Amino acid sequence: MSGRILVVEDDERIRSSMRLALEGEGYEIDEAASGEEALDHFSAQPPDVALIDLMLPGMDGFECCRALRRQSAVPIIIVTARTDTHDVVAGLEAGADDYVTKPFVSKELGARIRALLRRARPVEDERAGSLDFGDYELMPDEGVLRRADGTEVHCTRTEFRLLCELAANPNKVLSREQLLDRVWGYDYFGDGRLVDVHIRRLRTKVEADPALPRHILTVRGMGYKLVP
Amino acid sequence: MDEEPAGRRGRRRLWTRLGLRARVTLLFGLGALVLSVLMGGLSYLTARHFLVSERQNASLHQAYVNAKLIRSTIHGSTAIVPLLAAADSGTAGSSSLLYDAFDGKWYVRSISVGQGALPPALRRLVLSGTPATQSFQLDGDPEFAVGVPIPSVGAAYFEVFDVSDLRGTLRVLALALVAAGLVTTVLGAALGRSAASRSLRPLTGVSRAAMAIAGGELATRLPRAIDDPDLAGLTGSFNAMVDQLQERIEREERFTSDVSHELRSPLTTLSTTLAVLEAHRDELSEPAQRALVLLGDDLRRFGRMVGDLLEISRSDTGSADVALEEATVGELVRQSVATSSRTLPGGGAAPAVDVHPSVAHAWVRVDKRRFERMMANLLENAALYGGGATTVRARPGPVGPDGRSSVRISVDDAGPGVPPPERSRVFERFYRGQASGQRGAGTGSGLGLALVAEHARLQGGRVWADEAEGGGARFTVELPVEDEATW
Repeated sequence: MSGRILVVEDDERIRSSMRLALEGEGYEIDEAASGEEALDHFSAQPPDVALIDLMLPGMDGFECCRALRRQSAVPIIIVTARTDTHDVVAGLEAGADDYVTKPFVSKELGARIRALLRRARPVEDERAGSLDFGDYELMPDEGVLRRADGTEVHCTRTEFRLLCELAANPNKVLSREQLLDRVWGYDYFGDGRLVDVHIRRLRTKVEADPALPRHILTVRGMGYKLVP
Repeated sequence: MDEEPAGRRGRRRLWTRLGLRARVTLLFGLGALVLSVLMGGLSYLTARHFLVSERQNASLHQAYVNAKLIRSTIHGSTAIVPLLAAADSGTAGSSSLLYDAFDGKWYVRSISVGQGALPPALRRLVLSGTPATQSFQLDGDPEFAVGVPIPSVGAAYFEVFDVSDLRGTLRVLALALVAAGLVTTVLGAALGRSAASRSLRPLTGVSRAAMAIAGGELATRLPRAIDDPDLAGLTGSFNAMVDQLQERIEREERFTSDVSHELRSPLTTLSTTLAVLEAHRDELSEPAQRALVLLGDDLRRFGRMVGDLLEISRSDTGSADVALEEATVGELVRQSVATSSRTLPGGGAAPAVDVHPSVAHAWVRVDKRRFERMMANLLENAALYGGGATTVRARPGPVGPDGRSSVRISVDDAGPGVPPPERSRVFERFYRGQASGQRGAGTGSGLGLALVAEHARLQGGRVWADEAEGGGARFTVELPVEDEATW
């Protein structure tokens, strides 16, 4: 697998070791030591995946994440030194698609990068055509979500895949684990937070009132379902 | 002067043991009692003095009037007794006596009060020509006698007044004063109690705030009582104390977070570089390959140790956050066992999972990450000290005092078991006990079971160790089951 990866990390040793490990897997690496530098790199040559450390001097990882998200749907993995909820959820809310915890195992990081790159490609399955719900039209093969009036709704690849899974199974409850498996692409126990935060982000895009959703409903203790 | 007599110290201890409210109540009551005794006594004495002198003046006046009447009407020895009776009829309860000096005879109207009843001193004084009065007791009743010499007719007139009704009046007065005193004392005590309660009320607020802070709500402060200068001091110093406490805790947390960054960064470099080396393992010589295996094992162990240390220090500073979500017991246990068996040291076989049908679909509220860490640590513990976990069971647990049922998830191994005296100590940090001799190729961080206990506590449950069938160790986690009716 190949692709360009932007590594945003202030610790030079970690950057070098990541370059070694990731180049070994066939990726091209861009290094940035700060959030500001990352934004410059990004506009010069957009990467396929961005790895952002949350603790950065100056502009922190959250801010960097939001700034990238404002201009692009590039897949973002945040790197955090803390496993508990606050940093992870805040990072996901800032727009990240996934996270890894320091010290990470590079095999695990590699798996996540591959999963993200796979997700970035258009959906190629029998569901081609369009999936509609409410006032929205979802076109999996084109990777486009449109309102009835024709305006396009911007969403990340992960959000889009999640919405496709839900819309392909209307009125059916999908558990967090099923969604993690189908959208994030690796079997992965224990982090329903990834799903929860992405659902919240989706609701702000397709619900008139995200606090009182009409389409993407939570089924307590079970998971989520989409009601057209 | 430091040496206080034991008795006084004992009394002081008793006094302080009473409690502030009781002491203030007692003091107010006592004060009211002393005050009402003083006021009552004074009122009683004043009233008595007034009543007695009033009565004596009236009696004196009456006696003089009677004496004058007798002097003007007595001629020769006409019927004296009716005269005396007429004199007596003027005042209730008085008896008149007349002494005729010519024949040395006493004339008495009442049988009960004869000349013998008169105090001798009074009699002598009056018979010698001086008018006099005297209070005395007659058959236990208070009497007031007035003697008036009537020299023009050579006689002396005595009148004895019964003043026992005055005693009755005074008794009623005394009773009323005692009753008033008692009421005042009780009212004083009640006032004391309410004043004490009122002044203790801010302390209740302080104690509630202190409890909240002890429970980890560090942002709790006392509201500023601006209009109360007495309380402003307390509020100010309490809040200042909490500010400092919070600052210290936050400094501690920042330190933890800094340590986490500082330690994890080199660890990340190490593990990433190690992965590169492992990818090129075949290019290394045989001794270098062996060195790489050692390096890899200990690096992973070091990484786990740092992670465990940070986790436990966070829960010490109260900054551990718990994200509870609902899950069914069956799925939770199966999935966490499947995930954590994969990363077990030594790569032993996955244990059998046996979930009782009655709890398979029971809901629990857990932090999935913590639950998984808990199971992983228990399985790792079994792998390190018990030859690997044999069975993971989920069984219904007892119903708690609050009516909530529970579920017990146990991990059994076929090892030597945990001796009874060590069963609670194995949850202590870095406790190695009997296992210390086995410190060999694979040892944990020494925090694994301590973290299991911490995770269980944060999810509302508990954990303990006992014996599995066949003598191995059994670690059981008990978690409360969600009541479906509350959904």
